[in-house]
Amino acid sequence: MGNSILGIGVTGLNAAQAGLLTTGHNISNANTAGFSRQQAIQSNSIPQLTGSGFLGQGSQIATVRRVYSEFLSNQVLQAQTQSSQLDSYYAQIRQIDNLLADPESGLSPALQGFFRGVQSVAANPGSVPSRQAMLSSAESLVSRFQSINQRFTEVRDGVNGQIASTVTEINALAKQIADLNHDISVVEGAAAGQPANDLLDQRDALVTQLGKLANASAVRQSDGSYNVFIGNGQALVVGTQTLTLTTMPSPNDASQLSVGYVIGGNKVMIPESTLQGGSLGGYFAFRSETLDSAQNALGRVAISLAQTFNDQHQLGQDLNGAIGGAFFSAPTLGVLQDTSTTSTITAVISNAGNLTTSDYRFGFDGTNYRLTRLSDNVSITTTTPPSGAAPFTMDGVSITGVTGVASGDGFVIQPTRGGARDIAVAVHDTAKIAAAAPVRTSALLTNTGAGTISAGTVNTPSPVNSNLQQPVTITFHTPYDGQFDVTGTGTGLPASNQTYTAGADISLNGWTMQISGAPAGGDVFTVTPNISGKSDNRNALLLAGLQTKDLIAGGTASYQSAYGQLVSQIGNKTRELEVASSAQENLVTQTRQTQQSLSGVNLDEEAANLMRYQQAYQASAKVIQTASLLFQSILDIGK
Amino acid sequence: MIRLSTNTIYERGIGSIQNQQADMVKLQQQLSTGRRILTPADDPVASARALDVMQADSLNTQFSENRQNAKSALEMTEGTLQGVTTLIQNIRTTALQAGNTALTGKDRQGLANVLRSNLDALVGLANSTDSTGEYLFSGYQGKTRPFAQTSTGVQYLGDQGQRMSQVSAVRQVPVSDSGGNIFEQIRNGNGTFVTAAATANTGSGIVDAGTVVTPASLTGHNYDITFTVTAGVTTYSVTDTTLSTTLTTGNPYTSGSQISFDGLQFNIQGKPASGDVFTVLPSTHQSVFTTLNDLINIVAGATGSSFNSTQLANGINTALLNLDNGLDNILGVRAAIGSHLQEIDSLQSLGDDLGVQYKQNLSQLQDVDYAQAISDFTRQQTYLQAAQDTFVKTTKLSLFSLL
Repeated sequence: MGNSILGIGVTGLNAAQAGLLTTGHNISNANTAGFSRQQAIQSNSIPQLTGSGFLGQGSQIATVRRVYSEFLSNQVLQAQTQSSQLDSYYAQIRQIDNLLADPESGLSPALQGFFRGVQSVAANPGSVPSRQAMLSSAESLVSRFQSINQRFTEVRDGVNGQIASTVTEINALAKQIADLNHDISVVEGAAAGQPANDLLDQRDALVTQLGKLANASAVRQSDGSYNVFIGNGQALVVGTQTLTLTTMPSPNDASQLSVGYVIGGNKVMIPESTLQGGSLGGYFAFRSETLDSAQNALGRVAISLAQTFNDQHQLGQDLNGAIGGAFFSAPTLGVLQDTSTTSTITAVISNAGNLTTSDYRFGFDGTNYRLTRLSDNVSITTTTPPSGAAPFTMDGVSITGVTGVASGDGFVIQPTRGGARDIAVAVHDTAKIAAAAPVRTSALLTNTGAGTISAGTVNTPSPVNSNLQQPVTITFHTPYDGQFDVTGTGTGLPASNQTYTAGADISLNGWTMQISGAPAGGDVFTVTPNISGKSDNRNALLLAGLQTKDLIAGGTASYQSAYGQLVSQIGNKTRELEVASSAQENLVTQTRQTQQSLSGVNLDEEAANLMRYQQAYQASAKVIQTASLLFQSILDIGK
Repeated sequence: MIRLSTNTIYERGIGSIQNQQADMVKLQQQLSTGRRILTPADDPVASARALDVMQADSLNTQFSENRQNAKSALEMTEGTLQGVTTLIQNIRTTALQAGNTALTGKDRQGLANVLRSNLDALVGLANSTDSTGEYLFSGYQGKTRPFAQTSTGVQYLGDQGQRMSQVSAVRQVPVSDSGGNIFEQIRNGNGTFVTAAATANTGSGIVDAGTVVTPASLTGHNYDITFTVTAGVTTYSVTDTTLSTTLTTGNPYTSGSQISFDGLQFNIQGKPASGDVFTVLPSTHQSVFTTLNDLINIVAGATGSSFNSTQLANGINTALLNLDNGLDNILGVRAAIGSHLQEIDSLQSLGDDLGVQYKQNLSQLQDVDYAQAISDFTRQQTYLQAAQDTFVKTTKLSLFSLL
């Protein structure tokens, strides 16, 4: 019997020791990330049947288990994936938000400075210092465009770098998960089905880490291993096997990286749209939703400014008496072939005023040519191959030629992406600023009537009529009969017996002017080239007027307000992300607290357990001591 | 019962302290920069609006500069034209003096010399330049000397261009006037027709400028008034030389009586001789230089044997009339300049008000409300203090400390 008491005492001692070990383990891992507290599960041993019934055989430790809920862990994983997508998006967009934060360093002051230069030429058209001021302010505007754009490009490069390092990290995590799958199956096999708690915790922690990087889901297999899937169900880890992810140039735009995987030595791209969630999803979303459109918006201001300013400048006359040339070198649009496409197309910006901030896709399906605006996937189709004579136009972007386009070929058109990078000042000689109008009008001194002639304007659009500067003479009939004859060189000239209407537009050779008042018979009005019109500022005034004209976005925004739209768009999106990411952060905190309230270590609880098992240990020791005393009393009988 | 893990207690405590700190740093930044909007995300609408207001303010400043430029250009022109006005008035006085029949030929020669130097002075004024060396009165051709003295008189080489300046968002005012407009586009005669005595006249008929009585009847034709003296009775006939038709003949003439036909009317005083002719022509433009040249020729010619007091009187009358026309024209231009200057002044005070408004607007959009921000900051300090204190107290409690 005594033997039995000793045995029971020993089982109790062992159980209490196991309890103390587990408690100690919990206490020492209280700060280990991903650790789930463990419990030694104690049960009573199988009792011994005696004639007087079952006699207890003491206690045993059935198992040590971790307090863990797969459901709660999955919730944390999901919330964490969302949160880290928003976080990385927010971290990226904040860079742009900060870039636009200071009104003094944005585009606005440079834009205002440039038009100040134009105004100064309008005030002193013949002054070389004024003209130099305009050229310098144009240079500084261009460099402001370029430096903001450069910052965008740096952010884009940064995103590429982040994607590459994220992919490396994902591969490393996948490898570790596969290794743990292997270790767990070996260890648990050897331990006759007892759970390898700490290895399981480690593996779960790795899955959580993976979830921060990309949208990953772990599916527990019957053998206890995890299969991990990312994106649209792409298997990343199957048992002990892993798939290697890689970065590859995006097929639509070689300047940016996409994610693919290597299979049989070939790289296969995983569509960005399926890689939502995690910081990877955040980078992709930032790039496609914000960075592209922000850079495009800036480029659109640059392109519209260059084109509309050039259009007006080319209607003027420079200090040398020549018709104005292009003031800015206008940026051209970018066309990118799909990797599988070998044909080429010609695309031009046909109307800068209608440009949007979207990119476009042009494709051919064997029957239809399709041009799609990528921001909202609105598309137009035609069956006629686009050509110069029959351009295929959407939002001011025209396809004017296709060469060898076969079914399935595709192109991405970026009308505005390079605008801010490519804009440059084309005029470097102060004399080449076209501040004057190329023609001037006059009423002859010998006129006896009271007719007056307006200063005249040059008709849009540029280029000017080739006969613009041909002298034209308007002579009223003698005696006066309300009609006049027009002589000179030009289309429709000479023209006789034109009826005079006071104040009506007279448009010839690309100019328009009005004669008003009461001319008399024999009165002569002339339109002549503005030879040595060095103090004429008519075109400079028109150029200065462009500052407040709504010339962008289909005539709804000025240069300034188009830039303002960019600022408010970025501001709104940043704010939205700030709110969303902090809300998601709260959700993560809550789910993690719920999970922690189950699996986390509470040191006070462990302190109590420590006391409990200590006492149990002491009690069991007392049982052993009692057994020993009992045995001693038997021995003492023989004395 | 909610079971809390020890980590949660720490995380929560630290999390709330960090939040309070972030809020506090933001307030501190707002206070130290004076800006409510630190990045566009703080108030996207106001940030974009602020950019718009800044552009409007910058334009307003630009227009103010334009106004100053316009003002100085106009004042420059006005100053020059004031000189021209004085000069023409002097010329007028000299012309009146030259008409004095008591003067000798030598006296007139002297006066003619005065007039010649006046002509030079007038051309000099008409060729005035501005501070940048550009000619004031050459239209668009600022580098071209507008008036040149040639053998055929003073030629205008500029054009009729008028430079404008953008003085407000919607208003352009002219800041230059062409020399043609000022010195050349001057109607001679009375503005509608010109009366003159033929140079071959031998009588003492002196014609006045005349007036228009019935504008609707005006023809714009040329007429001759031809006098006939038969047996002491003076009559005249009126011929429309444009149509070569005689309108009336044998009209009795008395000195100073009104002669009227085809809507116009004038008188001839004195005694025209038989065969004397007076002409009526439609007004044309005559430059003030031509007027002055004619005057010089008349005055200089009225010497020696060819002296004819009637011719002199008629010539000086015509010259005075045309000088007055020139003066009127220049005064008209000066009046226009004056009204532009006035307009610029009123636009200037409007622009100043607008500038103040824009700045207020911008301040409301961007600037931090210090009273509010400081009170927020103090409150935030209390929150942070509380969060820190309670964190320390909560985490101090541990069962282990009692073991």
